[in-house]
Amino acid sequence: MSKDYDVCVIGSGAGAGPIISELSKQGKSVLVLEKGPWLTEEDFTKDEMACCRRSTYTPKLEDEQHVLEEETNNGGWVSEPTSESGWDFWNGNVVGGSSNFMSGYFYRLKPKDFRLLSEFGPVEGANIVDWPISYADMEPYFTKAETEVGISGKIIPHKHQEPRSTKDFPYPPTSEHPIVNRIDKACGELNLTSLPTPRAVLSRPANGRNSCEYSGYCGSYGCHSGAKGSARAALLDGAVTTGHCEIRANCKAYKLKSNNKGQVVEALYYDIDGKAQSVSAKTFVVACHAIETSRLLLASTGPKHPDGLGNNYSQLGKNLLFSAGGSGTGEFHYSEMDKLAASAMKTRGPFVNRGVQDWYYFEDKAFGGKAKGGVIDFLLRHPNPISKAMSVKWNDDDNLNWGHNLKRDLKTVFTESQDLRFEVFNDWLPTDNCFVSLDKNVKDKWGSAVAKVRLGYHEHDLKVGEFLSAKAENVLRQMGAKNIRSSVSGSPPANLVAGGCRFGNDIKTSVLDADCKVHDVDNLYVTDGSFMPTGGSVPYTWTIYANSFRVADILKNRV
Amino acid sequence: MSTHLINRRQFIQLIAVASLGWSEISNAQKNTLGIEANLVYKNLTDPWLSLAEVQEHLFPADESSPGAKDISALGFLRNMLDTPDIDSEEKEFIINGVGWLNDLSEKIHKQAFIKLNSTEKENVLRKIESSRAGSRWLSLIMTYLIEALLSDPVYGGNKDQKGWQWLEHIPGFPVPTTEQVYFKLDERANERTHRRTKA
Repeated sequence: MSKDYDVCVIGSGAGAGPIISELSKQGKSVLVLEKGPWLTEEDFTKDEMACCRRSTYTPKLEDEQHVLEEETNNGGWVSEPTSESGWDFWNGNVVGGSSNFMSGYFYRLKPKDFRLLSEFGPVEGANIVDWPISYADMEPYFTKAETEVGISGKIIPHKHQEPRSTKDFPYPPTSEHPIVNRIDKACGELNLTSLPTPRAVLSRPANGRNSCEYSGYCGSYGCHSGAKGSARAALLDGAVTTGHCEIRANCKAYKLKSNNKGQVVEALYYDIDGKAQSVSAKTFVVACHAIETSRLLLASTGPKHPDGLGNNYSQLGKNLLFSAGGSGTGEFHYSEMDKLAASAMKTRGPFVNRGVQDWYYFEDKAFGGKAKGGVIDFLLRHPNPISKAMSVKWNDDDNLNWGHNLKRDLKTVFTESQDLRFEVFNDWLPTDNCFVSLDKNVKDKWGSAVAKVRLGYHEHDLKVGEFLSAKAENVLRQMGAKNIRSSVSGSPPANLVAGGCRFGNDIKTSVLDADCKVHDVDNLYVTDGSFMPTGGSVPYTWTIYANSFRVADILKNRV
Repeated sequence: MSTHLINRRQFIQLIAVASLGWSEISNAQKNTLGIEANLVYKNLTDPWLSLAEVQEHLFPADESSPGAKDISALGFLRNMLDTPDIDSEEKEFIINGVGWLNDLSEKIHKQAFIKLNSTEKENVLRKIESSRAGSRWLSLIMTYLIEALLSDPVYGGNKDQKGWQWLEHIPGFPVPTTEQVYFKLDERANERTHRRTKA
């Protein structure tokens, strides 16, 4: 029987983009089903109302939501739909996915991240495993992403520098905010290596995309210039021009239909008008966000897969990962600087491309010797004015702040200091208490069961996060910051999620094989962050891009 | 303000001039959604009359900074309550709150809210804040006020960028046109999708 397409891809973000781009360039017919609308550079402006105050790029929670399950004080679990709690777990449901709205801090994993169990040993209560592939297998694809996605940066040798097949980045670093001089100086005094943070932002025009315009509003905003390496700007636009790629926006896949042999034959979806449709393909690739990928496969029951595709050993949705860590702030008061320094500090536009990786691995008695740490990243407080003003809406007594007191507080928060923040990223250890299932009661607007997510974390994550936060606070202190504070908690960041379909060599303990193919389905692959069995202690996006390029190479010979 | 920023702003203006021409720029600057800015506070009746008074009390003008009326906080609120995706329960709640406000005002001070002096207004509003529903109502009014102060002027608040100027805020670019406001984006994208499907 002839198939409509060679490949049908569900989702269009960072995990989907490389597959779509590479296979359509090879001449394969590729269909993309994307739930969200197809917004372009013409639609993206620096409008805080659009980016951050309304559900513009994400569904209304009454229409589509999650059910989140949190641990109570007495060890039980209580669940709440997000339409009630308001805790939005969506990131960006548009063509190109949430990569449109990322800040673009890009880090490679390091060799030991691929063998966390062998290098650091087990942690009780955590399902730590080694990956079925090594850093050497992934390295060519980390490199490929630098060119294809557009990653700018500069290599400075340091003790935890991962091996590279090329000498340096293809694009020099983006322009830097004057505060980096203070960070560099403080790190030098503390004997730390202040490292330029690579960014998925073009520092010069390339591949038909413009260079960064340095508007000063990057994270959470869609990019107007095309400089940000979203899957849309960097990969999908080019794929469409090959004539082999068709993107169907506003099309929500709700089930993959499989046959008696256990192979996927059709994707079932609702189109823009809400009508049920179907499409056949030789190969199917799912990359629609870690939680939603598990949800779709769980809903895709069939004759050989009664509990969902890839779930014959009850592994599907398990070992979900977030990024552990926390964040902190220190204030630099203009009144304590001369005019010139204050003016430099107020600069808006260039990036704070600085981070510290001195404790990516470390030795400490409190951690029983050799331990895995993570990275510290520095950034300015987000310039969004409404969100900044909302921070003084309530006073210390939990009453609404209004009148002249409100105006005084607004003036202070906006005009007296520049705030430097840090973020700490460390491993979110996989446990039995962090997983995706289908909720039995709550449905989305099309009548499908929504994902229920249990949000348990491992205490070890907090210990590492606090260790790193204390180090980051030292840097702020050395810089002379005032009012330094930080917070580390087990509350998961909804924008940094992976796992749920871990890859491995054993069908009994993993969903995917080393090629990211579902073990017992011949023609189904998963290429978003779901494949990761452990997350490393960096944001995931570069790894997701790289792995998708790796699987694309495998698929070129199979489709 | 640093010279760096002024230079960049001039640079952006140059780009805009090159692509639009002066006449279109001045038009673009005038363009905001909804009611003409100068008519927002003309001939007000309730609920808008009372809401304008509440906003001015919560965000009063003084010699060095704008008040609610200066930034057209009411224009912003009216525009927002008219957007197609407004939560109808929330809209009703805000409007109904005006009735409760005046009931309470009559009960305590025997006058409508707009007739009260500043101390009496403060008294009534703090009383309202002490109930759960009242606190929720005022919290919503405050949120819309803060949005009116600092959102892009295209939405009808932050008149002449007075909110941004007062707080020395440097906006990003490009800023939205009346066709790029958040509640029109889906429609724009969907029209393109339909065109593509037909082609």
